[in-house]
Amino acid sequence: MQDLLYFFQQLINGLTIGSTYALIAIGYTMVYGIIGMINFAHGEIYMIGAYTALIAITGLATLGIAWLPLVLLVALVCAMIVSSSMGWAVERVAYRPVRGRHRLIPLISAIGMSIFLQNYVHLAQGSRNIGFPSLIQGGFTFGSEGSFQMSLSYMQITIFITTLICMTALSLFISRSRIGRACRAVSQDLGMANLLGIDTNRIISATFVIGAALAAVAGLLLGMYYGSIDPLFGFIAGLKAFTAAVLGGIGSIPGAMLGGLILGVAESMTSGYLSGEYKDVVSFGLLILILLFKPTGLLGKPEVEKI
Amino acid sequence: MKTSVKKLVTAVSTSVALMAAGNAAAEIQIGIAGPMTGPVAQYGDMQFSGARMAIEQINANGGVMGEQLVAVEYDDVCDPKQAVTVANSMVNDGVQFVIGHLCSSSTQPASDIYEDEGILMVTPASTSPDITERGYELVFRTIGLDSMQGPVAANYLASLNPERVAIVHDKQQYGEGIATAVRDTLEAKGVEIAMFEGITAGDKDFSSLVTKMKQADVDFVYYGGYHPELGLILRQAGQAGLDARFMGPEGVGNKDINTIAGEAAEGLLVTLPPSFDQKAENQALVKAFQDKGEDPSGPFVLTSYAAVQLVVDGIKQAESTDPFEVAQALRSGSFETPIGTVQYDEAGDLQSFEFVVYEWHSDGSKTPVN
Repeated sequence: MQDLLYFFQQLINGLTIGSTYALIAIGYTMVYGIIGMINFAHGEIYMIGAYTALIAITGLATLGIAWLPLVLLVALVCAMIVSSSMGWAVERVAYRPVRGRHRLIPLISAIGMSIFLQNYVHLAQGSRNIGFPSLIQGGFTFGSEGSFQMSLSYMQITIFITTLICMTALSLFISRSRIGRACRAVSQDLGMANLLGIDTNRIISATFVIGAALAAVAGLLLGMYYGSIDPLFGFIAGLKAFTAAVLGGIGSIPGAMLGGLILGVAESMTSGYLSGEYKDVVSFGLLILILLFKPTGLLGKPEVEKI
Repeated sequence: MKTSVKKLVTAVSTSVALMAAGNAAAEIQIGIAGPMTGPVAQYGDMQFSGARMAIEQINANGGVMGEQLVAVEYDDVCDPKQAVTVANSMVNDGVQFVIGHLCSSSTQPASDIYEDEGILMVTPASTSPDITERGYELVFRTIGLDSMQGPVAANYLASLNPERVAIVHDKQQYGEGIATAVRDTLEAKGVEIAMFEGITAGDKDFSSLVTKMKQADVDFVYYGGYHPELGLILRQAGQAGLDARFMGPEGVGNKDINTIAGEAAEGLLVTLPPSFDQKAENQALVKAFQDKGEDPSGPFVLTSYAAVQLVVDGIKQAESTDPFEVAQALRSGSFETPIGTVQYDEAGDLQSFEFVVYEWHSDGSKTPVN
């Protein structure tokens, strides 16, 4: 019984972290699906989202506003607005001018953007770790007193539910809305979509904005869950989310969700049953295996050479 | 934003001042290398503030051998790769005396370069025994070793009669080194070690680790590493309901752990160098720091002050600025510093250095327990 509870606890830990990986991975996968580039500055957008949320929370606290739903809502909206405008601006400044050139050029531009944003936050906010208030506390515990007790915190539940809502909304948006349909068209054939009168520049901007908004949600959630943020934490999270996106099949939205969850669970199970030291070995080893045996990822469509 | 502009202005004006000073005839460059940025920059603040104060005061008293000291500061971010770059720029800049580095993993590779290039180095903070184990002639420190600190921590820990102890470290030279020293002492005392495990520095998610510690039913956790990770472990352990007491080395003992861990930092045990700022003979110095608006209570402030002072005393005794002769003088003499009377052994280690166990509180204060 106790072993079973332990297993479920590690599963919950993994799913929690995995669902936030998935939220960040969406940004990578959507951009790749549409313009075929990897936006390495996406991890930084997520980090900026977390900082904005913290600034909003602190601001509200100094104003004396403490009603939790309002605080969360304001923090979320602020983070999404700032991150989205950041995502939009990054595309305009660093990617659009070099679009259509050799594949390596936007990639290098993205890495430069990532370094720039990281250092900008270093300069503006300082390089120290900043504590993030745990606004949602408490939770359920299972199991008998005196032995191992499984805990499921309200924060973890919040993360699951928020991720679920975001993912459902995104799927509906992509499959039902006009812009969503245009997104799919652009991802299938950018040139043709352009000829048919779709404003592809607008659609590409929209992709960056959506990806950044979801990253901001992840930033707020993870900031509260972990309890501290620093200017470098977007980099590692971005790398993990990128792995998740490739694992699930880059360019595929359900793939990003699946990849995120698999990666999160694989990490927590490795920490739980082997050793935390092998966590990254397993997650990146998994990536290598997938790339070797199924290069398009779990849910990715095999790429057909367009002639 | 305002402060950063101010910082920029000061940075520019200091560098202009430095350039101007570079033209002056008689001077001795003192290189200070430590983290100005990055996750452990607060320890760098302690180091720079201590060393700057020493240089200021020595210059005010006429310098050494008629020459003024000039501080040349370098940021190594506590990154071993950056430390090597910094060490090479020291060589290029013609620096002969270095106060640093801070993190053991930075000091180790940098010291190779200093030894080869004939630069004298005094680290005010690196406690890894490996640094002085290689028979180098020009490497000194003004702090104790993990092989001294580990047993102090382990002995105190054993005296609390823990049932099952978990030892966690960050896989870096300093963290793993001290964690191993603690484990060895505890094992020798027959204390049960339930787990010994590494984490990745910079990681944020410790829920799996905390779950594992809960499953192993540990009542005591020793962490070898720095405060950003321990702060998160403390906080996440508190939330998951892990009922255990935590202990860490001097790398976790600064007020930033309170901003990360909050209430969960209450009762944390930390081994630190003794509070040199509380000693009666240092009160004039403490006042000088306070007049400047700086806090002398950090563990590395006065060790850095002492490091500069030792270099100067060594120069005076050797009547030469040749690093090898200064090293010779340091090994043979006995020096009065704010960290007490300093005598070096052949390796460049202090002949005695005491670590004290403190209990940390959620308001950032600490009380000695032994």
